[in-house]
Amino acid sequence: MRPLTLKRLLWTCGLLAVVLLGCVVLALKLGAVPISVTDLMWDLGRVAVGGSDPLPSEYSMIVFDLRLPRILLGILVGASLSVAGASFQALLRNPLADPFVLGVSSGAALGSILAMIVVPQLALLTPLGAFLGAIATIAAVYFLGRREGQLDSSTLLLGGIISASFLSAIIMFLMTTLAGRDLRGMVFWLMGDLSTPVSAGLRWILTVGLFAGVGAIYTTAADLNLLLSGEREAIHLGVDVTRVKLVVYVSASLLTALAVSASGAIGYVGLLVPHAMRLLFGSDYRLLIPASALGGAIVIVLADTLARTIVAPTELPVGAMTAMAGAPVFIYLLRRGTR
Amino acid sequence: MKFNQAMPGAHAGSGKKFRKLRVVVLRAGMSLLFWFLCGAPVMPQTPVAPSTAGLATTAPAFQVFTDEVGRRVEIPAEVKHVVSLAPNLTEIVFDLGDADRLAGDTDFCDYPDEASKKPHVGGPINPNLEQIVSLKPSLILATKSINRRETVDALAHIGLPVYVTDPHSVDAMIASVEHLGAVLHAEKAAAPLAGELRARLADLDRRLAGTTPSRVLFVVWSAPLISIGRDTFIADALRHARAQSVVDTAAEWPHVNLEEIVRLQPEFLVFASAHAGDTQHEIEALRTRPGWRDLDAMRRGNIVVISEAINRPAPRMVDAIEQLARALHSDSFASRSPQLAAAANISLEDCSCAR
Amino acid sequence: MSAPETSEQKLGEPPKHGRTEPLNVEQASFAYSASARSTPTFTLAATTFQAHERELVAILGPNASGKSTLLQLIAGTIAPLSGRVELDGQETSRLDPRIRAQRIAVVQQESPVVFPALAGDYVLQGRHPYGQGLRLASKEDIAIAENALAQVGAQHLAGRRMAELSGGEKQRVILARALAQQPRLILLDEPTLHLDIGAQVELLECLRELAEEHRYAVVIVTHELALTAEFADQVVLLQHGRCLRVGSPAAVYQRELLEQVFEAPLDVEPGPAGRPRVNLRARRRQDAT
Repeated sequence: MRPLTLKRLLWTCGLLAVVLLGCVVLALKLGAVPISVTDLMWDLGRVAVGGSDPLPSEYSMIVFDLRLPRILLGILVGASLSVAGASFQALLRNPLADPFVLGVSSGAALGSILAMIVVPQLALLTPLGAFLGAIATIAAVYFLGRREGQLDSSTLLLGGIISASFLSAIIMFLMTTLAGRDLRGMVFWLMGDLSTPVSAGLRWILTVGLFAGVGAIYTTAADLNLLLSGEREAIHLGVDVTRVKLVVYVSASLLTALAVSASGAIGYVGLLVPHAMRLLFGSDYRLLIPASALGGAIVIVLADTLARTIVAPTELPVGAMTAMAGAPVFIYLLRRGTR
Repeated sequence: MKFNQAMPGAHAGSGKKFRKLRVVVLRAGMSLLFWFLCGAPVMPQTPVAPSTAGLATTAPAFQVFTDEVGRRVEIPAEVKHVVSLAPNLTEIVFDLGDADRLAGDTDFCDYPDEASKKPHVGGPINPNLEQIVSLKPSLILATKSINRRETVDALAHIGLPVYVTDPHSVDAMIASVEHLGAVLHAEKAAAPLAGELRARLADLDRRLAGTTPSRVLFVVWSAPLISIGRDTFIADALRHARAQSVVDTAAEWPHVNLEEIVRLQPEFLVFASAHAGDTQHEIEALRTRPGWRDLDAMRRGNIVVISEAINRPAPRMVDAIEQLARALHSDSFASRSPQLAAAANISLEDCSCAR
Repeated sequence: MSAPETSEQKLGEPPKHGRTEPLNVEQASFAYSASARSTPTFTLAATTFQAHERELVAILGPNASGKSTLLQLIAGTIAPLSGRVELDGQETSRLDPRIRAQRIAVVQQESPVVFPALAGDYVLQGRHPYGQGLRLASKEDIAIAENALAQVGAQHLAGRRMAELSGGEKQRVILARALAQQPRLILLDEPTLHLDIGAQVELLECLRELAEEHRYAVVIVTHELALTAEFADQVVLLQHGRCLRVGSPAAVYQRELLEQVFEAPLDVEPGPAGRPRVNLRARRRQDAT
């Protein structure tokens, strides 16, 4: 018998963190403008230590003002979406659940847009709108997905697809009828786009939200393992199922909302990263949650790097990259059946 | 009965080393995170004019302008490199004679030919910010109707001055020429150019005084049918050519219902195109389509194809206005002045009005 | 009242509190209804019985007789409408869920597995009520889990995937998980449903031995007449939500009663060791003549 040990947990997270660091360095190096790695390391070291002498070259402006914040944003978004996906998969006991597939991303997007329309001057309220949209959508999908009191896989996915289409239609309607508004940038954002920098206030909200959300979900990690065996069994083993479900739904919706309000609806990350981590490291949520967070960060950093270099200087939205890679993998998983 | 080999307690020694490494990694990560959160860019916020230290210090390092959307922009006294993010702005820069200072433009900047040879920074909607920065711009030019607000904000956020134009009328376009002249310190070229454009428009007004405005449909795209709103510069250009768009709406690029156009029955259909030949094919194809074939203008052949310069708020637009005016009100141009013809640079094959 | 069990207690030690009849069901009743005002769609009438240590009690009845409802009342997931359901003197439905999980283990048909799980990890889940936070398995937890697997003769299955196990093997692993909870009372809901006859007998023999050795009280919900007759110490006979009789198999297995409850032609005759033997009396064409 080889249950999860603290040592294995830390080593796996450490390994993934190292891989992430490598990806970050790679992402800093690559781009429309070439950067030398040695200068980069020197400057990164200076920043980490805390020295902030003005570095006069353009390349450092590129690296520190454009690329690094974008990469760090990508890490936050990737981690949020992956953990949200892993959580939905546990709650709904369905490996094909993720914020995008369930329509939660679309709900968050609609919430953001409505917030932008109703209170354009308060940009910081956009995540709140996104959160309300996300919660409303997951509640709707949950109730749509119930059949005879139990959650049914196919009904649930159908509910998600229907919600996503419906919400997208509303978004399109709003965008075409609101003539005077400058919602053109919305199209990019809807596809999932990391190229527009985020205000400092929103960054704080994102970071705090990520740690709070992942932390809250992690406190229920052991309970989630039991929930996977079935709700009744979990109740009989002393799990407060109602509380766990509430905490995890709200936290996962929060994580989705924050990611969407920062970078739009990036798809397939929440679906495929937990799945890959499960294949590599097993289904134990005490390991899966941190592994998914780190794995999601890695995937988004790599996808975003690809998006900005593949047809440089033109940039593809990062959501397009994840969809192009993710959709075929998703279909493959569907056909292979859930393991 | 075997116990698990890898027990947590059995590796206390390596656990300590482990913890130290964890602390170092954590500390590095936290400092990076705080840096990210506080958003302190390593560069100073406003770019200091380079190598002006030797010069007399009476001239200020930079001047403050207010751009056409009301933003406060600090522009260095010496503008070495300019990056244009819209085709019409590129044209204006060339017209002001500052082509050598233009360090980069967009993929779509195709007029004049030299513009397409300049380094490109991507499309107007999603230019590559890194590419822009690598060109070391002292000033970036943008326009509200094509560029995204997020792009302008992003560039301003990292300390690069961006001047945004927003012309909604032909007069505003001429004013933009003057503004850009001031900003680029090219007033010597801007003033005469603006004067000439205004003179030509005034001349046109005189010639067309007393004629009734023609009711036209300006076709931006035929499938789906997209026309122009009343507040666009194209609508204003039409007015200078004594034409009135039958589509009257506040939306900039309205999708119009063809049935509504049939009801309104415009006198002329106006197309703008770079290649007259292709447009002719398109029009031929439309002749037989339902809806289109019910338009009097289509049946009678009252179709005007003008230069696509009408789509860009740049000096060339006036050429297109004159072209359109001639096509719609040829009577007013009976006595053609050679000066007008030369300045307008009309080529008759562009104007296909088969009656 | 009695202190909750701690992890120091090993399997095999007598429980610290002394009652020999841990489970006391007294006039417990329940009713399901679609809404507060509509008439109940199903009721369980007042039922009374006790389960003793080392005793196998069978709740016997055909489908829709109220067995599952009674099981849930005992497990504490629903509260009785009237009467009491007590474990060691405390109402099961009012126990803290954590404490309840340390005292009552429920073995149900396994829900379909969607994610791969190892049998060993599955059994370790039984230690959940004793842990805190992340609940990374301690040495004792692992020992208890391995012991539990050994008790059901499934120690070789520890590293195998649940999805790969046969019905009987899975049932044993599920039982091991229940044992890992170190309960006072083990409840099983139709445990023999998907097993072949050999596996059924094995399971019940195993339960007998465990109950004897560790002083569990075992309550099995079932509709198997023959197995109940052979293994149960006490039978609670239900039909349409009513408890018709409580007693030893010999006392409860009366031909007319069983025929009426199960609506099948049956023969009851005394068997070895005082246990009744039930035979199906199939109608043959000769009987008609």
